[in-house]
Amino acid sequence: MTSGSTMTAPPALDIDPFTPGNLCAPEAVQEAIRETAPVVYLTRYEMYAVGRYDLVQTALSDYARFTSTGGIGMSDIRKPGAWRTPSPIAEIDPPEHRNVRKTLQKVLSPIIIRQWREDFTRVAEAQADAIIASGSVEAMKDIVEPFILKVFPDALGIDMPREAFPLIGEMNFNQIGPYNDLTRKSVEAAGPHLENYEQYFSRESMVKGGFGEKIYAAEDDGGFPEGTAGVQVRSFLRAGTDTTIAGIGHTLYRLAQNPEQWAKLKENPAKAKAAFDEAIRLDSPSQLIHRTTVADIEVEGLALKGDVKVGCFIGAANLDPRRFPDPTAYDIDRGSTGVHLALGAGSHICIGQNIARLEAEILLQALVSRLSRIELDGEATYRPINTLRTLDRLPLRLVA
Amino acid sequence: MPKVTLINPDDSRIDLDVEVGDSIMRAATAAGIEGIVGDCGGGMSCATCHVVVLDDAYLAKTPEMSLTEDQMLDFTAMEREPNSRLSCQLVMSEEMDGMVVRVADPQL
Ligand code: HEM
Ligand code: FES
Repeated sequence: MTSGSTMTAPPALDIDPFTPGNLCAPEAVQEAIRETAPVVYLTRYEMYAVGRYDLVQTALSDYARFTSTGGIGMSDIRKPGAWRTPSPIAEIDPPEHRNVRKTLQKVLSPIIIRQWREDFTRVAEAQADAIIASGSVEAMKDIVEPFILKVFPDALGIDMPREAFPLIGEMNFNQIGPYNDLTRKSVEAAGPHLENYEQYFSRESMVKGGFGEKIYAAEDDGGFPEGTAGVQVRSFLRAGTDTTIAGIGHTLYRLAQNPEQWAKLKENPAKAKAAFDEAIRLDSPSQLIHRTTVADIEVEGLALKGDVKVGCFIGAANLDPRRFPDPTAYDIDRGSTGVHLALGAGSHICIGQNIARLEAEILLQALVSRLSRIELDGEATYRPINTLRTLDRLPLRLVA
Repeated sequence: MPKVTLINPDDSRIDLDVEVGDSIMRAATAAGIEGIVGDCGGGMSCATCHVVVLDDAYLAKTPEMSLTEDQMLDFTAMEREPNSRLSCQLVMSEEMDGMVVRVADPQL
């Protein structure tokens, strides 16, 4: 055993992952964090960062050393100035987490299996039929956003104005990072929509027969602490909207760039889910999630102080050559499902991943069955958001 | 091809061929076995592919349990037992040929 005094602190890195330039092209930052040391210290943000596959996996799942109760964002929600109510699902540790998650799963699984596939398919087919003749599209605005913003709030049973979604989503994913210009501006932009925000998640606003109504019923049955059902529904909406739009966008981009992968999918449409998983490995929508050290601990011979945030750079880990040979190649036969960390790891692993895959599968199959190929029709650009990797524009030519 | 035997909740038995490298969940859902749901497609998030390995000697031959699988086994609809596993994580090897598992009930 190494004694505390001989252990070295993680090396300091004076980089800023959150400049618009670094957010839109994160490879250099990802590599610096991943390759400098198992754990590094980001001096500008006074926090640790991990970017290797095994360490990101450990930090996300080992709650005895890395707690979620300090919040999944960069600021510690238990501290004065940053205090806010924790998410009643994402920001608690086992054992409290256990029953909450179990209740959510019990509500979620049966409806996904029995009901949502049909509803989603109807929307996707109609949308694909309408767009097929357009030739050139901007895929994010013309295909992906309208699809998700139709099926997902409907499935959750929430009735919120559609134009509020992108603004609130951008604000949420900026806020998981530092309070910088991006965060300030997106809070301002979302401002007008926040007035009635809480009201959309009240018991009275839940659409009859939807998921939200069932969540309230589960609270009545004692499945959640009293008064938390509305926040559960809001957590689902926040976690599942922008991430899925981003992920399906990345999939279309990679399929356009790699015609041989599109050909494999066309030949066997059952590979749609794998195409999605491999795309979110390469460009992980949720780039950064935080934990907090519970005490002074040792990690791979490095001494970490207690009560400090640990940034888990998921995007960096999913490109770790130690785990993924030829990491930047898009290969839908790689078998990345259940291996990549884009959906997290451990007890908090994404509870909505089957919904995300279902949405992706249905939309991709609707397109693949109608088109012989898709081609890039101009430059695809990313949108700078502190912790979300998403395309701003994806110009595509649809070839019938 | 190696085989596993599944014991259904009604005590009927199914012998299932599972290709080396394929998971028992994938083989079972592909064969239309209803007791294994596999809602998340092997993403370890749904815990609806729960099985119990009957023989300790076979359990030792299965792939090691990851922290995520261990934690997800706390969310199964049927209470976890000492030999509980998620069948999406039981990736087949020649050594596992002849293994018998009980399908958990309920899965949802
Ligand atoms: C590509 C799409 C998605 C990505 C990349 C994604 C990513 C993630 C990640 C990384 C986590 C783990 C957070 C942590 O460990 O602290 C997570 C948790 C979660 N996700 Fe997703 N997600 C996606 C889609 C969805 C959808 C569609 C829903 C809702 C239906 C959803 C709901 C949730 C919830 C409620 C949690 C918290 C679970 C818990 O703490 O036990 N996500 N997601
Ligand atoms: S298929 Fe979902 S946990 Fe095994």
